[in-house]
Amino acid sequence: MARVIVITSGKGGVGKTTSCASIGTALAMQGHRTVLIDFDVGLRNLDLVMGCERRVVYDLINVISGEANLKQALIKDKRIDGLYMLPASQTRDKDALTLEGVCEVIEQLKQDFDYIVCDSPAGIERGAVMAMYYADEAIVVTNPEVSSVRDSDRIIGLLDSKTRRAEQGEAIRAQLLVTRYDPERVEHADMMSVQDIEEILAIPLVGVIPESSAVLKASNQGVPVVHDSGSDAGQAYSDMVARYLGDDKPMRFVELERKGLFSRMFGGRR
Amino acid sequence: MKRLRDLFHKEESSSADVARERLKVMITQDRMQRHQPDFLPRLQQELVEVIRRYVHSDQDDIHISYHCLPQHSQIELNVSWPRNNS
Repeated sequence: MARVIVITSGKGGVGKTTSCASIGTALAMQGHRTVLIDFDVGLRNLDLVMGCERRVVYDLINVISGEANLKQALIKDKRIDGLYMLPASQTRDKDALTLEGVCEVIEQLKQDFDYIVCDSPAGIERGAVMAMYYADEAIVVTNPEVSSVRDSDRIIGLLDSKTRRAEQGEAIRAQLLVTRYDPERVEHADMMSVQDIEEILAIPLVGVIPESSAVLKASNQGVPVVHDSGSDAGQAYSDMVARYLGDDKPMRFVELERKGLFSRMFGGRR
Repeated sequence: MKRLRDLFHKEESSSADVARERLKVMITQDRMQRHQPDFLPRLQQELVEVIRRYVHSDQDDIHISYHCLPQHSQIELNVSWPRNNS
């Protein structure tokens, strides 16, 4: 049975699209047929992060309006087998996205895929509700920062009321993904800790992605950071997906590494 | 190192602690409002108008709170006014 996962956050710029690309890629690496849907109509970015922007011909709204069929619109990933993406429209107006249309697309995709990963736009308006409505599960991306945590709490409220599952009286499984985490600043008490955020939002933690230069480097190149298996962020994403799939992996990159005297003097900040 | 730093900074609480406390207050408020019915602000305003027709209370002396209990919802109304000029 196919699972529909929404990657959401409320606040913009916290790493939804980056996370979506890496989570989808890691799921496909594990052998699950996976499709990513970009719901950010007007501001599509997932194709850029996935590195397939030049192969976009048709988009989600073309499919919903019947101008193209799914097969024509799906873009196959060049690196991983069994990974596809459905881009958002860059130009069309947001009202073209309807719940009925989205339902039809998702039901069709369910025939073919194990995981359908929806990249939500920022905000709590129509677009975000569209992205979450048919989800079975949610990954709430949060930065250790007050406005991000507050917005995440509002999104959790929406997940509990504005989704099909909620309307049918079923719970939606929401899990917390903390991104841009800096253990050094946490140590200095300038940043809230993972435990603080977990306690406030009261949903289970599925992963912590450290603040890392590898993330920008990866998006510059259009390669999801999870491919960079030597990087801390890449490893954190593959850990997170393993954990999501049921592996009991300990959290890494949450504690400050104790530096020796030598690297303290000469190492500088990574 | 950390203990040494704490020695000098003991007075002010850390910014992460401030963030956590502010968030707890904000989110508690947000969550309460999330379950309130839409008509509540209007009801609140009308109740205040009616009450003030009878007693000389300041707006601040009228407290209305909404509680969502498992079995039913409840509106709690507290009015106080000065003893002599009521």
